Amino acid sequence: MSPWLAGSIWATTQLIPSPLLVIGDHHVGGGLGWQLTPVLYSFGIAERPLRTFFVSPIARHSGSVELHVSPEWACCAPGGATSWLVRAGLRLYLPLIEHGEELSWSLGASYYRAAGGGGASADLGIYSFNGVLGLNVTVSPWLTRRELIAALTIRYF
Amino acid sequence: MRIWPVFVLASCLASSGCFPWRALQRNLSAPAERAVAHRIRDPRRPEARLAALWVGHATVLLQMDDLFVLTDPVFSHTLAQASKRLVEPGFDAANLPPLAAVVVSHMHFDHLSFSSLDLVETRTKVVLVPPGIRSNMPRYSFEIRELSRWQVYEKDGLRVSAVPVQHVGGRYGIDAAFETQAFTGYVFEYHGISVYFGGDTAYNPEDFELTRQHFPNLSLALLPICPNAPRGFMEHTHENPAQALDAFTLLGAKQMIPIHFDTYINSDDAFGACPAQLGREMRSRGLSAPQVSILGIGEQRVLIPR
Repeated sequence: MSPWLAGSIWATTQLIPSPLLVIGDHHVGGGLGWQLTPVLYSFGIAERPLRTFFVSPIARHSGSVELHVSPEWACCAPGGATSWLVRAGLRLYLPLIEHGEELSWSLGASYYRAAGGGGASADLGIYSFNGVLGLNVTVSPWLTRRELIAALTIRYF
Repeated sequence: MRIWPVFVLASCLASSGCFPWRALQRNLSAPAERAVAHRIRDPRRPEARLAALWVGHATVLLQMDDLFVLTDPVFSHTLAQASKRLVEPGFDAANLPPLAAVVVSHMHFDHLSFSSLDLVETRTKVVLVPPGIRSNMPRYSFEIRELSRWQVYEKDGLRVSAVPVQHVGGRYGIDAAFETQAFTGYVFEYHGISVYFGGDTAYNPEDFELTRQHFPNLSLALLPICPNAPRGFMEHTHENPAQALDAFTLLGAKQMIPIHFDTYINSDDAFGACPAQLGREMRSRGLSAPQVSILGIGEQRVLIPR
């Protein structure tokens, strides 16, 4: 496989969205989320701790802090309204099993911007299968109509 | 819209016609790990100048006179949460003696196990790896030293040289495209004894001939013989039993021990198929023990007595 093809596959996989469950005060809806990692510092890896965008699972899940940018699209709530949100934040990953390749968890804080304004969020996640699958719960107590977002995270690198 | 990928995927899943799906099915229905009847507790053999203990897969504990070397330590019960172990490790890592060196041939899950390196962390001061692996390994207390092809690590009379093999790097799929040098074989030399460790390799006569030119008096060759099937999928990265014997001849080693079979489910090979095929090939070529010794998992063999 050529590096160009591998890079194309990586770029394509970044387009695969993570399904969201959006739970507000008076509604339950769905959505899709994506994530990019402009910068990650891995304190669990033996060499080259600073990574940008293309981050191997062991660098992230053996212990790291990342700056992430996450566009999210909420839909399907009663009433039919859809909306976009962009989130940027810091997330700490810590390993649990097999240096994080089999199981790791995360704790994060982010700032979001949406049509209705912005605010702060906190998130807690757990990941397995080299970080390909995970469950991440984000609480945004000050955002109208989006109190809690549960994401089945899907990420390849 | 192109929909042929959907048909390919659907037919693959429906007919068991694709290898990854068959491997998944075999792993889901895998029997419990077979126990090893008599696991050796103390691997020191005072009567041996060279002894080899096959822990399973590519994990071999070598005794060369008074020192020990461990290859590709993998004591895991599953690989990547998918591939199940068929036979328990033939040696308890808790009983490992102090190791002069540990080598890792490449970073596929069946050769580089992070939890297994945790088990050897207090037994060794150095783990030798090919280029590109250190940035894909967690922190440990031992030194992780990268050796490029023909580079040598030397300490207290032990020389470890990185030698060429034909395989593929990476760990998670697409990273193979960027880790183009991240696989190797090794030759260990100590007190006039020399051992070749092939790790995981396809049959490439040029690699074996070059290694023989550099190391014309190999005492032992540890050569992978599996996975074999499906051959079209495996042939570019794995030699089969007949090719392993060809490699043994090209290397000019005095003895050979086959490795890399009957430990994990990572192919279409039935349990026992690879050593059986090796046995047939040996008979057709007039080879037998001690030239080629097929060890059971957990078995230790003295190859050069004192």
